[in-house]
Formats: sequence, C-alpha cells, structure tokens
Amino acid sequence: MKRSRGMMFILTLLGPGIITAMIDNDASGITTYSVAGARFGYTLLWTLIPTTIALIVIQEMIARMGVVTGKGLSDLIRENFGVVPTFYMMLGLFFANLGTTVANFAGWAASTEILGFNRYIMVPAGAFMIWVLVTKGTYRIVERILLVACVLYFGYIVSGLMAHPDWGEVARHTIIPTISTDPQYIMLAIAIIGTTITPWMQFYLQSSIAEKGISIDNYGVSRTEIWVGSSVTDIISFFIILTCATTLFASGIRINEASEAAVALRPFAGNYASVIFAVSLANASLLGAIIVPLATAYYTCEAMGWEAGINKTFKEAPQFMWIYTTLIVLSAFIIMVPGSPLVFLMVLSSFINGLLLPFVLVFALILVNKKKLMGEHVNNRFMNIVAWLTVITLIVLTAVLAAVTIIKLL
Amino acid sequence: MPLFGELFLSEIIKKPVLDFKGDVAGKLKDILVIKGLPLPVVTALIVKRGKKSYRIEWSSVNIFNKRIISTTLLAKELPPYAPNDEDLFAVRDILDRQIVDANGAKVVRVNDIRLEGYHGQAVLSAVDIGMRGILRRLGLERQGDELLRFFRTSLPYNLISWNYIQPLEPKLKSIALTVPRQMMSELHPADIAEIISSVSREEGASLFQELDVEAAADTLPELEPEVQTALISGMEPEKASDIIEKMQPDEAADILSDLPPEKVKILLELIEKEDAEDIQELLTHEEDTAGGLMTNEFLSYPPQTRICEVMERFRADAEDVETIYYIYVTDEEERLVGVVSLRELILADPDNHPDKTLSEIMVTNVKRVKAEDDESIVSAAISKYNLVAIPVVNEDDQLLGIVTVDDIIDRILPPKAKRKQRKV
Repeated sequence: MKRSRGMMFILTLLGPGIITAMIDNDASGITTYSVAGARFGYTLLWTLIPTTIALIVIQEMIARMGVVTGKGLSDLIRENFGVVPTFYMMLGLFFANLGTTVANFAGWAASTEILGFNRYIMVPAGAFMIWVLVTKGTYRIVERILLVACVLYFGYIVSGLMAHPDWGEVARHTIIPTISTDPQYIMLAIAIIGTTITPWMQFYLQSSIAEKGISIDNYGVSRTEIWVGSSVTDIISFFIILTCATTLFASGIRINEASEAAVALRPFAGNYASVIFAVSLANASLLGAIIVPLATAYYTCEAMGWEAGINKTFKEAPQFMWIYTTLIVLSAFIIMVPGSPLVFLMVLSSFINGLLLPFVLVFALILVNKKKLMGEHVNNRFMNIVAWLTVITLIVLTAVLAAVTIIKLL
Repeated sequence: MPLFGELFLSEIIKKPVLDFKGDVAGKLKDILVIKGLPLPVVTALIVKRGKKSYRIEWSSVNIFNKRIISTTLLAKELPPYAPNDEDLFAVRDILDRQIVDANGAKVVRVNDIRLEGYHGQAVLSAVDIGMRGILRRLGLERQGDELLRFFRTSLPYNLISWNYIQPLEPKLKSIALTVPRQMMSELHPADIAEIISSVSREEGASLFQELDVEAAADTLPELEPEVQTALISGMEPEKASDIIEKMQPDEAADILSDLPPEKVKILLELIEKEDAEDIQELLTHEEDTAGGLMTNEFLSYPPQTRICEVMERFRADAEDVETIYYIYVTDEEERLVGVVSLRELILADPDNHPDKTLSEIMVTNVKRVKAEDDESIVSAAISKYNLVAIPVVNEDDQLLGIVTVDDIIDRILPPKAKRKQRKV
C-alpha cells in the first residue's frame, strides 16, 4: 500500500514547508546576505551550515506539533499559557511584522526603481494588488501565485552562476569557518542567523501545516519537505552571498542595500545578471509583503478566537481583514512619505523580534515536550539536547544583535 | 448559600483565599467542575500555597464573591489535592479553548466563564466569547469601556448560554456547541434564530440551509434584517422562494423589501401567483407604517352571513390565517362595517340560534388605523383598546389588512436574535 502512493499524492502534501522556507529570504534577508557578501567576501559562507541545521531542528519540531495536534502555534500557546502572554505576544508581533512589511515594501520600491519604474506608482500599485488578491481572492488563487513566485527565487542561482565564482575558494570557505574579531563581521554573522529564524515564521508554518490537515502517517513527507525546503532556502542565501562576494567584494564596493547590489552588479556580471537580481528582489519583496501581513492576521485571529480565512469577506471576518489591510496600507504609506523614520522602524522591528524569539521558542519547546499534547511524539532526549542548544544559542545571538542595534541607534 | 448573583471566573482566579481566622490559606488556582443538571456545578476549589495544591470542597466554602473568598477550614488543615485523571477544571480544561460546532468546525474561543449562584451551588452559566472577555482577563475592561464611551459606542456582551454547550466530559479536547442539527427543527423558531445569530455567519448559514422549509419559514422572521437578507441572497432562488411562500405575507414582504429589486422580481416569479400578489401589495407600503406592518391574511364575511355558516367557513378558512381571533364584517365594497370576536361568536351559540346574522351580533364601532399611519399610532391604538389585532383601512374605509399585537411588540421590543448586540 505504502509504495503505491503516487507522485500526485505526495505533491498535495507539499506547500507549507516550501513556501515558508522561500519567504524566509524576503527583502531584509536578501539585504543581509548581499551586504555580507560585499563586505566580507566568501568568509561568511560557513555560517549558512549551522544556520541550516538550526532552521531544520526548529522547523521540524514546529511541523511535528502542527501535524500531531492539528492546531496552530498561537492556538496552543493560548490554550496552555492563557490569554495574557498570548495577547502581549500578538501585540508585539504586530509591530515587529509591521517593520518587516515596511522592509519588504522598501525592497519592492528600490528594485522596481532599478527596473525603471516610479516608486510613487509602484508602491501603491503593489499594495493594492496584494490587498485585492487576499481580500477578494480565494485560497486556491493565492496558493498558486505563491508557488509560482517561489520559482522566481531561482533567479539568484542564475545570477550567481553568471558571476563566475572561484569554486575552490567557495568550497574552502563554506567548510572551514573563518574566525574574526571584527565587530562588523560578528554582527553580520548573527544577522544572517537572526534573519533566517524569525518568530512569525514559526506561527505561519505550524498554522499552514495544521490547516492542510496532514496526518501523522504522512508526516514523513512533511519532514522531508522541511529538510529540502530549509536546505534550498540556504542554497539561495548561499548564491546571493556568492554573487556579491565574487563581484562587489573583489572590487572593493561596499553596499548597504540589496538594491544597490543589483545596480553594482551591472559592470561585473553584465546587464542580465543585474536585471535578474533586481527582478528576484522585487519578487521576494512582494511575496514577503503578502505573506507577513497574512500570517499576522491568521495567527492573531487564531489566538483570539476571531474568524479568519482568505475565502471570507470583511463582514464575516472583520478582524482578519482589518489586520491584513492595516499592515499593508500603513507600510505602503510609510514608504511613500518622504523622511519617515524607515531605519528606526526596521531596527525596532528586529529588536522586538529578538525580544519575542526566546518566548516563542521556549513556549514551543515546552509544548513539544507535553505528553498530554504530543503523546508518543514528544521530543526524545537527543532532540531535546539539540533543540535546547539551538534555542539557547539563538537567544544569546539575537539578544546580542538587538543590543548592538540599539546601541548603534543611540 | 455562598454565591449570590453572578461573577466571572477571571475576577476570582489568583485571588487570595482566607481561612476562617482571616489568614491567607493560599491563592485560588482553579475550580473543579462536574457535569450537573442543567448546568455544570462547581464541586471544589483548588488552592495553591507554595508549591502545593489543596482542595476545598464547596461545602467548606464560606464566602464566595469577587472580593472575598473564604473557607470554614483552618489554613493548616486543608486537605492536599490528589490529582485524578477524571477531574475537570474550569481554567485548565475550559478557559481559552476553542468552541466548535457539532461538525468540529471552529467557531470562537472561551475568553471567560460566567458563574452564577443556583440553589446554594455555583454553576457555570455562560461563556464569554467577546472582546469584553479578553479585556477583562487583561484587567482592562473598565478602560475599554471608557475608551469606547469616548467614541460614543459601547463594548457588546458576547455570551453564549451554557444551555447551548454540550455536556462536559473529563479529558475534553474541545468544547462543542449542542446546535444539534437533527433536532434543530424541533426547537422553537425563536430559539433556532438565537442559535443562528450566536454562531459565525458561515456556520449560521449552513445551519439555516439544513432546516426544512417550514422551520426555515418560521425562523427567518426572527432574525436580524441584515442576517435575513444575507441568508436569502446566499440561497438557490428556488429554495428561497419555497421558504418565502410558506411565510406570512407581511413577514415575506419585510424580507423582500430589503433585497435588490431584480432579486425580488426573480423570487416573486417563482412564488405562486396568489401569494405573490399579496406580497406585492404589501411591498407598496412604507416599512414603518400600518401598511408596512400589516398582513393581508384575515377573516372577513358579509354582514348578512348567518352565524352557523360563519362557523363552517371559519373552520375552512382559519387553516391558512394566522390571526383568527377577530372576524371582520365588510360590505359588498369591502368597507369595514363591524367586527365579531371569536368569543362573541361562540357565546352567540350558533348551534341553537343558527339563523342569527353577523350584523345582529357585530360591534359597529370598530377601532381602525389608516394604511399610512405611523407605527407609533398603531401601537398606541392597540395598547389603548387592548386589542389582539387592529384593522387597517384605506381612505375609502376599505379593509386592507390587520396589524397583530405580536408584530407591534417585535417593533417595540425586538427578540434577542433580532437585536444587534447579542446578550444572554
């Protein structure tokens, strides 16, 4: 029986893991990788290996909870820790995700400008498009568009290959870590991990797995998806660093934005590579601008017991639609207004994320070890050691990241 | 009788519990609940002191209100709580849970639980599913109220009465609404309406779809106008027209008047000609006038009709007419000339005096209203003359219809399911 499962059946189970993994490389992720590659060349490539391991450990745990309990993470947190921590966590995440959405709109504005469009047309147009997609669209349409958009991520691999890297050097730096005491180097190493593992992603992943109703018998497929998805995410990150390292770092060009990378690429890797880089950034930004507000609306409503769903109308699910709408409209507005405190907002957002990540992960670890919830699928001793080590490392790193960004701001 | 009135679980959880000397025996951690009839009953309080939990039976509870909770025992004498798998706790097992409908679809979440005193015991009487419950848990209910008062609105109470919740079992995974679909048709239409308006829109619509035509026709008028239009618009026109056909013409007209004209046209074409004409006639009147409130189903006979004949025709006609208490007397031009109540008709003894005519026993001084009269005039007249129904006439004094007292009461005191704010 088990062997006769067709390919189509397995395909129906895919989606949550791949989409979550891809969205991981949103505008702020791409910025971090571009800046890292341009500033330190290949020497930060090794950080992607521990990052991938941490990502897989955490996402596997979250996915397993989604499959076994059939509930989202915010759902479980609400039921087990009460309304008070849940409410403040949701409130914090709202602001953190507002920052993330702003970052994505900023990426969209910058990348479309490179492609020759006016940001004062493209930002409202983009915002309107994604707003209509969710408020008036159906789930089927949204999921298809998301999956097509995921394919566009491979543009980064193409532009990486077009840059003709020195593969021997690349392999050496990927496997052998470079230790440096340069504070900026340490900062970027932490930022790479911090931008890969975010609180909202855990909520999104578990909700979408629970929603898909994957049974424990098919959990093997989901686990493989997590492994593959997390690896592919970091392969894409790898190629972004690679592209910028081969071209920009070699010529001593320093950048602060992903969009600058797209422009700076032109003389080295050719016009095509530059355009592909910009299109991929535009795609990633827009995708992030859909998923982050959508995820926020979903898990907030889940936690609070409000109705949620893409197929519902404003009248049926008012809170859901309003959270989504507010995030998009506010973010687009912030980008359009000249002189708005963009940097401050993004710093604040990464600070709140850093503050919330420990709670989210510790709650998740407590929950995944509850026999009452997970039955025989609780973490075993080995998983717990790996998970706690990962969580503690992440907490320390994000705390450092948050502290440093605050100090830099002052 | 330790509990008078009602209080919310969030108001007492974590409050100190005093012993009979006034010393703090610990903090209230949870309450133990068992299935009771009709509502779940509190059997014991679980109190936490240090790391240990103690159990105080309800019989040893002295004072139990939102300011003071005390026991008749001494702090030192409290029996420790021995965990039992069969135990059901209000906080651990009920609070924050998802409430699902009978099919397991998500509906809402338990934000708070209301306790009520009942024959010396405390029972769980309702669950709070609204924003008010969340704010109360956060300790911000008063602030929320004040903020909204500033905006000239108020925070609605969203409570679901425990009567609609399935009996609780130990080790429950989720809480289910009873909305027992198979039995829905046996409930009173007003109760069905209340259930439909207390669950989500989508859920309500699917419940409504499953009602048979008769029950649907009785339930629909009990709902809020917005919900009515949404339900009818979301339905196959054939099914919608079947339901409307079964309704009283005045109620059907009320619902149709809120629908877009093209939709009304489609529906009316599907309805039997006679019924459709009745409805169409009513649609011409303003909604809050006597004409808009009236129904055109009533009993009327010519004055020279013999009362034995009246009795016969009455038995046949009363089948389809809602209000039969008054028999109106109209002349050949349908002008209202008198009225006979059912009581007067029976007391006139048709068996022994079969040849008496209606004109002999009728009251000629009939109170009436004009079709264009405002609903306030109608209600004033019904109230003043203690009527069950009042006839509505046009300027030529021709009888058009009647407004019944229940239609007027619905205007003055809308039933729960018709009110915008849901409150149990």
